[in-house]
Amino acid sequence: MTISGTPAVILRYDQEQDREQFEALFGKDFHVCSFASDQAAMDYLVYARSLAATPETANSPTNLAAIFVLSDRPERCPESVLLAVARDQYPHLLKILLGEAIELELLVSLLDQQLIDRCFEQPANPDLVRSHVLTAALTHREAPYTRATKPIIGQHKPIVLIVDDEPAATKYLARQLELLQDEFRVVCAQSADEALRCVQDEASAIAVVMADQRMPGMHGKELLDELKQSHPAIVRILTSAWGELEVALGAVNEGRIFRYRQKPWQAQELLSLFRQALGHHQELVAERDHSRTQADQQFAELRQQRYARLLARLSSINERTFSKSDIAAFLDLLLTIQTLPASSSHLRASRETTLEQQLEQDFGHLVHQQLEALEPVGQRHPSRQDLEVSLAAATDNEPGSTPTVHTPLSRLCQSLTTLLTASGLRTNQIRINQTDDILSLTTDSPLRMYSHLLAPLTRISRPLLEQQCALLMVYASTLLLGGDVDATGGEQSFRLTLRFANLKPAE
Amino acid sequence: MIGRRKIRLYVTVGQRMLRDSLLFQLLLNDEVELVGESETGVDTLNRLGAARPGVLLIEENLQDNDGLTIAESALSLHPSLSVLLISDTPVSTGRLAIYLEAGIKAVVSKHQPVQELMKTLLYIRNGQVYVSARHNAAERMPTALNAYRALSRREQEVALLMASRVPVRDIAEQLGVSCKTVHSYKDRIFVKLGFERLPELILFMHRHQHGATS
Repeated sequence: MTISGTPAVILRYDQEQDREQFEALFGKDFHVCSFASDQAAMDYLVYARSLAATPETANSPTNLAAIFVLSDRPERCPESVLLAVARDQYPHLLKILLGEAIELELLVSLLDQQLIDRCFEQPANPDLVRSHVLTAALTHREAPYTRATKPIIGQHKPIVLIVDDEPAATKYLARQLELLQDEFRVVCAQSADEALRCVQDEASAIAVVMADQRMPGMHGKELLDELKQSHPAIVRILTSAWGELEVALGAVNEGRIFRYRQKPWQAQELLSLFRQALGHHQELVAERDHSRTQADQQFAELRQQRYARLLARLSSINERTFSKSDIAAFLDLLLTIQTLPASSSHLRASRETTLEQQLEQDFGHLVHQQLEALEPVGQRHPSRQDLEVSLAAATDNEPGSTPTVHTPLSRLCQSLTTLLTASGLRTNQIRINQTDDILSLTTDSPLRMYSHLLAPLTRISRPLLEQQCALLMVYASTLLLGGDVDATGGEQSFRLTLRFANLKPAE
Repeated sequence: MIGRRKIRLYVTVGQRMLRDSLLFQLLLNDEVELVGESETGVDTLNRLGAARPGVLLIEENLQDNDGLTIAESALSLHPSLSVLLISDTPVSTGRLAIYLEAGIKAVVSKHQPVQELMKTLLYIRNGQVYVSARHNAAERMPTALNAYRALSRREQEVALLMASRVPVRDIAEQLGVSCKTVHSYKDRIFVKLGFERLPELILFMHRHQHGATS
């Protein structure tokens, strides 16, 4: 699927004037392919698929992102053959219903059958409708990962969390459900806050959350919106005794709820709903674990290649200052600094953009520039006072107005300042300790490094390049000054200690 | 809509003048509550936990660290945060796709009008992704200009007086109509031009004084 270019949508319409209106609204945003019958639309789906399967036409403008059903009789949608075919055979297409007056029962039933993904009452906000389609077109929707999911047999049963401010009703329901089955536990919370605490405590065990909309404090929909962000694998169900269509539509479109249930609850019916929800949860977990493992493996490969390229590039720049093993020491330090795990966005950035070449080039260029401006000869074994004076001078320098030529000492201090700035620290956080024969320099708290040359990257930024170059320059200039570098990586941070022989000044 | 919660906003913008200008605009909306601001990425990460924002508005290019890297770290610590990234230049579709996959909810570039930022902020409040139309920004100004030319003479007259900050009562007196009538002119002008607040009209009138009045 191409990501650039205008996405295409299928419009299934009943009234000619609806089609005209739709094309006037969205004609600039999407290629609209309009059809007055299900059959014609399905024929087009088959045709589009055949185009995508043929290599010569794979990149033709058949970047189908969504199917719109613009019906003057939305109540007939549950029987729509087109929607059923789209659900079963084209799972990556977003199914959107636009209707004049949508009944809550209709929405609930369409959701139960998974016939629609989004639903808007007319007149819909075109900004939002457009955004849903563009987002679907932009984000990779790979075929859902299907591995035979085994029911979780293990130390703990999955939990269904019921959130409602009426404890009497939930307690009774929970007891009934516990008697009816042995597959899951039922836990009750009386408010959204209590539910969030439960999720904090038992995050991995909670598989399904069913929340009542009307509760004091945070409402059900808000709770589910938040869980969608923080725990996307938890399956969300909204329930209410009030038939609030607005809320239900919002929960579908924004909260991506699995189902909507009207009260009063029926234990038997909920039992089958929860079983479905648990199944869906297992799919989501399997998909998540699978994509994490994949991202880790694939990034590990990318990193190896990047390491080799950087090593080659840096080694070729300047042999007189650096040996290959010094550069390897620098790169190996980076490997010990843990950053956020790789995700699909990083992989895409590495593969679909010029990020990898740009990283090697831009970093190589910056290092080259700074090494060129470094005077290789100069005083070795700086005294405490030399360091202090030079650090103060580096701090006073206006950013960007660095002198054209650096002595190793001034380069060292300038680089340390860069590393401190990236960590939100100041020069007064540097400790210089002196023993009879060693002068050591370290920082009070670890230095921060949120990302680095060998970490998953989504883009290359100036602060990243400068920070990385500064660290390399710390190695280079310390070696030129006759000292040595001791560094250990940590969680998005590292500790740095520089040691110099303490030559007593002649008094 | 029942019980709309306020948008708890945290703003990380390096330059004070830009940050102030944005906040002057954003805080005109009473749904927006400022819970914290920073110049740098490290400071943002240090203070996010205590400020508990719902939305983080952050510049892509910060002085100390990459804004996107900071945003990714912030998201790993506070996954329910909605991040709105401000880029220096318009981002390509390909790059936008990568940002969305990284968990960013929306990207607005510094080349877009500030109204676009406000609109986007409202759309992403519940953790929604928002992608705006590609073509709108460029067309916005001519559209407003055309809309202005299509106003009635009376409406144009009122718009001009309002943009000169003449009070409604004085406009009514000057035109010999009631205050209520002026208010209804005002409403119509705003709707037709697609503006929501007086400063937008004032800026528009000043910017297009010659084109609009010719």
